[in-house]
Amino acid sequence: MVGTSLVFLAAAIVYAVYALPTPGGPRGGTVIGLAFGIAGYALMLFEGLLGARKKVPVWRLGRAQTWMRGHLWLGLLTLPLILFHAGFAFRGALTTVLMALLAIVVVSGIVGAVLQHYLPRAITTRVPMETIYEEIPHVRAQLREEAEQLVGTLAVEAEHDDKVRFHETYAQSIRPFLESPETAPSPLFPSLRRAIPVAFHQALEDLENICEEERQLNRQRRLYHWLHAWLLVHVPLSIALLVLGGIHAVMALRY
Amino acid sequence: MSDLHLTIDGQAVTVPSGTTVFDAARLQGIAIPTLCHQQNETPAGVCRLCVVEAGGRVLSASCVRPAEEGMTVATNSDKVRNVRRTLLELLMADHPSPCARQNQSGDCELETLARQEGLSGSRFAKRLSPRGQDDSSLAIAVDHEACILCDRCVRGCGEIRNNFVLGRRGKGFNAGIAFDLNKPMGNSACVSCGECVVSCPTGALTNKFVVQTELGGEPAEVEDLLKLPYFQKVSGTFLELNRNAVVKRHFRAGEIICREGEYGSTAFYLLEGTAQVYLSTPIAHVHTEGGAHGFFQRLGSRLLGRKQDRREGEVNRRTIPIDAPVDLPYDNPVAELGPGDLFGEMTCMSLYPRSATVRAATACTMYEMLRNVLDIMQRNKNIKGRLDENYRRRALEDHLKNVPLFASLTPEFIDSLRDRVELVRFGKGDVICRQGDLADSFYLIRIGFVKVSEDHPQGELVLNYLGRGGYFGEIGLLGMGAGGGGRRTATCSALDHVEVVRIGAEDFQRMVDSFPEIRGSLEQVAAKHLEQNRQRLKQSTDVPLDRFLAQGLMEAQSLLVLDLEKCTRCDACVRACADAHDGVTRLIREGLRFDNYLVATSCRQCRDPLCMVGCPVGSIRRRQSLEVIIEDWCIGCGLCAKNCPYGNITLHPFEVTIDNLDAPGKRAVVTKQKATSCDLCTEHAEPSCVYACPHDAAHRVDPNQFFRDVISG
Amino acid sequence: MAGRTRTTKKLAQRIDLNYFKRAYPIPRWRRILSIAAAGAGVAWLGWAGLTGKQSAFNAGPLAKGHTILTNNCSSCHVPAGGFGTKVTETACLTCHDAPMHQARQTFTPACTSCHVEHQGAFRLASTSDASCTQCHSSLKSADGKTKFATSITSFSSGHPDFAAVRPGHAPDPGTIKLSHQVHLKSDLKGPNGLVQLTCADCHGLTNRSPSYAQHCASCHPLVFDSRFAEPVPHADTKTVHDFVVRKYADMGNSTQRVEEAERLLWQKTCKECHVLTYPAPETRPEIAKSAIPVRWMTHAKFDHQAHQLVTCTECHGQAKTSNITADVLLPGIATCQKCHNGGRTAADSRCFECHVYHDWSKAKPATSVHAVADFVH
Repeated sequence: MVGTSLVFLAAAIVYAVYALPTPGGPRGGTVIGLAFGIAGYALMLFEGLLGARKKVPVWRLGRAQTWMRGHLWLGLLTLPLILFHAGFAFRGALTTVLMALLAIVVVSGIVGAVLQHYLPRAITTRVPMETIYEEIPHVRAQLREEAEQLVGTLAVEAEHDDKVRFHETYAQSIRPFLESPETAPSPLFPSLRRAIPVAFHQALEDLENICEEERQLNRQRRLYHWLHAWLLVHVPLSIALLVLGGIHAVMALRY
Repeated sequence: MSDLHLTIDGQAVTVPSGTTVFDAARLQGIAIPTLCHQQNETPAGVCRLCVVEAGGRVLSASCVRPAEEGMTVATNSDKVRNVRRTLLELLMADHPSPCARQNQSGDCELETLARQEGLSGSRFAKRLSPRGQDDSSLAIAVDHEACILCDRCVRGCGEIRNNFVLGRRGKGFNAGIAFDLNKPMGNSACVSCGECVVSCPTGALTNKFVVQTELGGEPAEVEDLLKLPYFQKVSGTFLELNRNAVVKRHFRAGEIICREGEYGSTAFYLLEGTAQVYLSTPIAHVHTEGGAHGFFQRLGSRLLGRKQDRREGEVNRRTIPIDAPVDLPYDNPVAELGPGDLFGEMTCMSLYPRSATVRAATACTMYEMLRNVLDIMQRNKNIKGRLDENYRRRALEDHLKNVPLFASLTPEFIDSLRDRVELVRFGKGDVICRQGDLADSFYLIRIGFVKVSEDHPQGELVLNYLGRGGYFGEIGLLGMGAGGGGRRTATCSALDHVEVVRIGAEDFQRMVDSFPEIRGSLEQVAAKHLEQNRQRLKQSTDVPLDRFLAQGLMEAQSLLVLDLEKCTRCDACVRACADAHDGVTRLIREGLRFDNYLVATSCRQCRDPLCMVGCPVGSIRRRQSLEVIIEDWCIGCGLCAKNCPYGNITLHPFEVTIDNLDAPGKRAVVTKQKATSCDLCTEHAEPSCVYACPHDAAHRVDPNQFFRDVISG
Repeated sequence: MAGRTRTTKKLAQRIDLNYFKRAYPIPRWRRILSIAAAGAGVAWLGWAGLTGKQSAFNAGPLAKGHTILTNNCSSCHVPAGGFGTKVTETACLTCHDAPMHQARQTFTPACTSCHVEHQGAFRLASTSDASCTQCHSSLKSADGKTKFATSITSFSSGHPDFAAVRPGHAPDPGTIKLSHQVHLKSDLKGPNGLVQLTCADCHGLTNRSPSYAQHCASCHPLVFDSRFAEPVPHADTKTVHDFVVRKYADMGNSTQRVEEAERLLWQKTCKECHVLTYPAPETRPEIAKSAIPVRWMTHAKFDHQAHQLVTCTECHGQAKTSNITADVLLPGIATCQKCHNGGRTAADSRCFECHVYHDWSKAKPATSVHAVADFVH
């Protein structure tokens, strides 16, 4: 962070000194403008390498944490450097698009960093029975099976009619919820407990626990989407930024 | 001898001198009820049921009272009958009627007598403290509640069979029968001949039936079995009652007798023919690749042998220990078994999975037996001698050579050792040597599992579980143990049915003197060991442990914890682990939480590594730095995974093309498994998972230190 | 009856160990969108390049004069060895002439360093001050001698006062005797009574030099004899003499009358405004050329029409008190700097507003070789 601030200050000073006396104003074509552009693009390439680094996590190329910190701080630095490069103007079609992409990428990155700071805590406190997100469908299937088995092999001293009623209650109120907790209404266990004889209450408690787990997994899914969906904006646009930025660099240097 | 003349119940009797009153009455056809007297045993006179009026101040026990000239004996007077009745009533008060014998065969002598006397219950109160049962023997059930301390079994075991296993223990109210020095019967020197069962008048000692187990195959005829030298001196009744516990099996050439990794409960004794024993699981590590990295790749697992994928810390083994008289060579794991070989002992005795695949090379005949029969066989001195001889001839050398220190022993030396070593048996829980004791022998394990543990201020720390081919005791012998003077540095105890080869101190000394390089290596090992000991002692903490116990965290020496407030659930740790380990992750991001940390499912380096008990091929072991590794000859039986209470060991399937075991000559594609576990990435400075976490959320910690604040705060 | 228990082993065994290798929605869409976004970008640019619409690659809109060249990059960006192109002077000079500014300048900046294209649709000639100050802020000349101020950074900083009004400046070279103060007083006698003259009455906006016929004749008729209404023509003395002679030709004593009339004219009427000189005694005088300067500032261009918003006396205030022709009634730079002071809401004070770099007096004729078809596809 200290390094980044220092570099930013240095860059700002250089920009101020160079921008004013340059004939034609500060722009990418001048030597210093070009230097800013190259520095900015180099930083963008480093940012992009984070994705590549994650593909070879075991290679000892520096700790993942160092890379992540570097990604965050240097990413912030990219924005002012490119603004200096462009002299705070947009000009052509390609460059306007690039500037817009850069703005969106940096802003989405900041948003993502903020989300990743607060949401893990939210997930931890609000989903005590958390599991692995990708396995939620698998775990839910196992929960459904557990519930079915619980109800199917119930060894309880009760009247046959009561047992039938219990099975019916399960089929009507609880099973639909287990199959689609997003849409089905949540079963109300206090009222179920009143309606069902005491002998089944242990089983009911277990079912309540299963339903609670389903509810929590649902919550986990939603929180996880919030935690990771911003990447769908950040990553594709940053790839586009790198590609188009490269084309811009080539074309600008050519002309 | 001169004859004696006496009167019994008004009848004049003439008997030779030395005859007891009981015998004299018997000769007259008068039956005096007894409980503790058996015709073929020396009378003891303890039950007093046979008392008669013989003209003395008190009634006399007729079984021990010698007849005298001119004696007048009344065997059925009112007084005698009253006494008899009272005695029976007293005995019946504590008798768990109907006792086992009464249930089995309806002929409990005590109950029969009581019924004859017309006793239905007893006026007297039952004793309050229970005397218990002893279920440890495989053939005989012991119910001390039914025991009337008649001493018949003691005399039967001693006088008749000359085994001298049974004896008495305790005094007065606490008196009872005991085996050896009051060991459980199954752990004693009892040979299950069944004499005591036959002698016992009540249900205190009864034959056990084998319930509901029938082995396929031709039931062995008892007469045939008894003809075999192996079954000599075995109780015919016992064999009769357990007819289906031993069967004769015939196998054609090429037929599979048992497969590695399967669970079983029988042992095999080869009578005729030869069999091939081998490992059909390739010796390699599983490697899983592919997945969603590439768009179009599916997951595929394959095996990488040691040449392609050398791992740090793997030992160069010469042999792989299996549950048979001979071990398999590592490079070509095939061996031959012939007549007289017993295999499958561990499976049969301790229910471990089969350690290798056995196929009949020629047509074979063998006995397949359950545990109780095997037990009898092993206790039979004859058979034991044969099995020991087999071991000495074939496996002892390999085991000795497996001890890296002894690799340089010459064949001549080993020959000289062969007959000097002792094969000693230990039962479950027996301590073989205790920490601090004077060292007097070196041990090799022939069969079974031995727990090697050290005492620490925090409790017992299990260093290792050793199986077949393992060894211990050398450090103490060198005299370098802590405290000097050749003391044991650890306690070694048997976990199950264990047999060890004991090499006495003089022979050990001779070995070390003849091969001085051994001494040097031994000293190195001992020095390292002592250093580690010192280190461990330094780490004692005084943190209260109760909050850990629920999750078993106290058992752990190293935990992988994920700080849930920083973790973004990105799976970088899991991917890194898989990357570092052939595509198979050793860590699962799931488990119970402690505080706001997730205790991930990954090897915890437990103080007591339960995973190591029972591996049929000894491929799971503990390195010096205390983490567990699984060698590449794992046969995928899954016992370690089952034993680990936290699910830290996982099995991975892969497909292999091997010879079709059911259709010789053809190849088949089967799914085999290999077990994997976290090895703490010791080849790197930092575990890969911790290294790869971008948010500083993964930590490998010592739970006591890491959670110190949480626990004490 | 067992309630549900959670143990590590139970939880771990629920998980399929290869989960992280499968394709899940978020990572999959990330990949798809990445390729789509990059592909869309490349496709857009590729299509633009292929169809000749190079405007997509433009680094900015072209200046007003060059908009027709928007899709014709090569008209300025000529290939220069290998992959690169340059905008060379030659490229500019195919259409434009760019006469040298000063023979003694130490270096000649490239066309593009002052005329920066791709900055937007405004005049390319509007260069920034930096183009000028790159030399003039610390002026050096090829032979070491500098004629002008050496350290000008902007109009309000370092710009010297105008030469015409600098201390020690030359007086107004005009020979017409005029007192602005008299002419501007409120009770001036006019042909029909009192008049109040304003600046505009004599000085128009376009032709600021007053002419006798338009501006002076109505008050200052050249009457030489009250018997004649017609004044003498406002011309040289020979023409006047001939006129007078002709006029008196019909009368007697014409020679004497001519002499008397001429004496009146030379001594009084003409002398009122002009300076007469006698090359030789007793000859006809000659009238000195009026020498009224048309353009006072030779190195800058001042546009009166742009300054219509202020009254004449705001800048030329000295006129009200000027009595003699020798007074130079131009404002000094301080007057200009009141409005042109370089502030954000001030009047524009860029160099090119008044000055020009190229010496257009040496311009060559156009030599372009392009056809219309070169630009219009």
